[in-house]
Amino acid sequence: MAETHDTNPGTTEPKLRGKERANEELVMFLEPDQLVAHTSVPVPRAPLSERARTGLWALRVFVILVSIMVIYTFASQLK
Amino acid sequence: MPGKGVAIAERDLALPPLTHEDTDRSTDRARVNQARQQGRRWYLLWLLVGPGILAMLGENDGPSMISYATTGATYGLGFFLPFIVFSFAMAIVCQEMCMRVGAVTHRGYGQLVLERFGPIWGWFGAGDLILTNVVTLIAEFVAIRVGLAYFHLGSGVAAALGLVLVTFTALNGGRYWRWERIALGLALFNGLFLVAAIMVKPHWGSVGHSLVTLAPFPGGSFNTLLLLVASTIGATVTPWMIFFQQSASADKGLTPRDIKQGRYDTVAGAALAAIFGCGALIAGAALATHNGSSIQGLAGAGFPGALKSVSGGATATVFALGLIEAGAVAILTISASTAYAVGECVGVTHSFNSTPRRAVLFYASNIAAALIAAGIILIPGAPLLSIALNANVLATVLLPMALIFLIMLANDRDLMGEWTNKPSTNKIAIAIVAFISICGAAYGIDSFLQAAHLIPAG
Repeated sequence: MAETHDTNPGTTEPKLRGKERANEELVMFLEPDQLVAHTSVPVPRAPLSERARTGLWALRVFVILVSIMVIYTFASQLK
Repeated sequence: MPGKGVAIAERDLALPPLTHEDTDRSTDRARVNQARQQGRRWYLLWLLVGPGILAMLGENDGPSMISYATTGATYGLGFFLPFIVFSFAMAIVCQEMCMRVGAVTHRGYGQLVLERFGPIWGWFGAGDLILTNVVTLIAEFVAIRVGLAYFHLGSGVAAALGLVLVTFTALNGGRYWRWERIALGLALFNGLFLVAAIMVKPHWGSVGHSLVTLAPFPGGSFNTLLLLVASTIGATVTPWMIFFQQSASADKGLTPRDIKQGRYDTVAGAALAAIFGCGALIAGAALATHNGSSIQGLAGAGFPGALKSVSGGATATVFALGLIEAGAVAILTISASTAYAVGECVGVTHSFNSTPRRAVLFYASNIAAALIAAGIILIPGAPLLSIALNANVLATVLLPMALIFLIMLANDRDLMGEWTNKPSTNKIAIAIVAFISICGAAYGIDSFLQAAHLIPAG
């Protein structure tokens, strides 16, 4: 996920090192957990209680049922 | 990292490999840091506003403005004027949570739902979003077509205009800041609806009376009233706004120190959107005594054409340009929310600070969403009017699910630390979810029973 800058030690090393240093200085303005290397690491899964899971599924089924009704109404308006 | 939850605490002290996205974001943060150190408050605010105003004005989109104008033309001034203000007050509560979660976690809504609650819920959310976004994008192209029809231009021009705009802004060199400022510049033209409202010379005393008393209350069929209530809610709070503002806040690089300015951004966006939305309703209300309820707002030149005969060509031109702007800005923001959701759920680079070469899927889904919608409006005989009218209702019906996960994230102490919701915010947010669920369900069930001939129409 994290695409890094091209660094090829041994060729234009001093120039690249200068660029890297400038980037590193600039990056001090970011919070450490703002870096792509950090945000691309998934946060741990939250424990969901049985009650919460049931509630979420109930709401999901409710939303799907009402959506089907709206889509049915839309389709019947076309006739 | 004081104030943050353990789930996103610092892990490595060594500087990890830097990306193009990191360096671009840090350039923006350097300016924010400098403005803060120098005590330049207005400049700081200028640097930090964006996601809130864009989410709110992006939702003042083509179908929303046509919906407001239709309401005005059908019922005149009355209940729906303060109801627009009330709806945007609800939007502030929801969008402030998005901004806060994005600023604290630096992650988008889709990514957090997927990682925190599992791929089933993450993909359900993304699926809802993609469905409503494609439908809404079709409606945006229809709105542009309505505006252009006033200038005797057709669907092909509307499709080309929208696609060129999305492609041009997306592929502008891999910079979030530039994308945001172009979109913000366009979004300010949403004020054309306020200009149109002033040009129809309304009776301002009646406007003030309606705002204060909610009167007159609309009569007519119960189902039509439910449709208008559901579509007005769908015109102010939608799933794409949740995805967009949280992801854009993270992409912009907001941090907990910027939450105060993020709140100003959200409230300012809601205030502007409410004023401009009321403007569209007031402009539409000028037609209430001129057979306004019979105007097919999405057919032909619709409202601009009708306004021309009542208030003159200048008002009609302003209204038509407003529709083109409303559709264009919404195409940008809704396409962006689709791209963020796809990138976050697939787990690939999802930032305007990444170059198109390095974030192929992100930019491809951004443009593809608009491309599909543009293709559909070019199909001869496609039911565009019905699609546009049902877009907001579908968004309202699917919204409670997105809001519940947002509330769960905003209350997640492991993620949010000291920035979790206050009990009062939770009470208001739960009341909003309940209200939206009831309105969506009431319309869905009532319409279904009528369509299935299980109850008489009316």
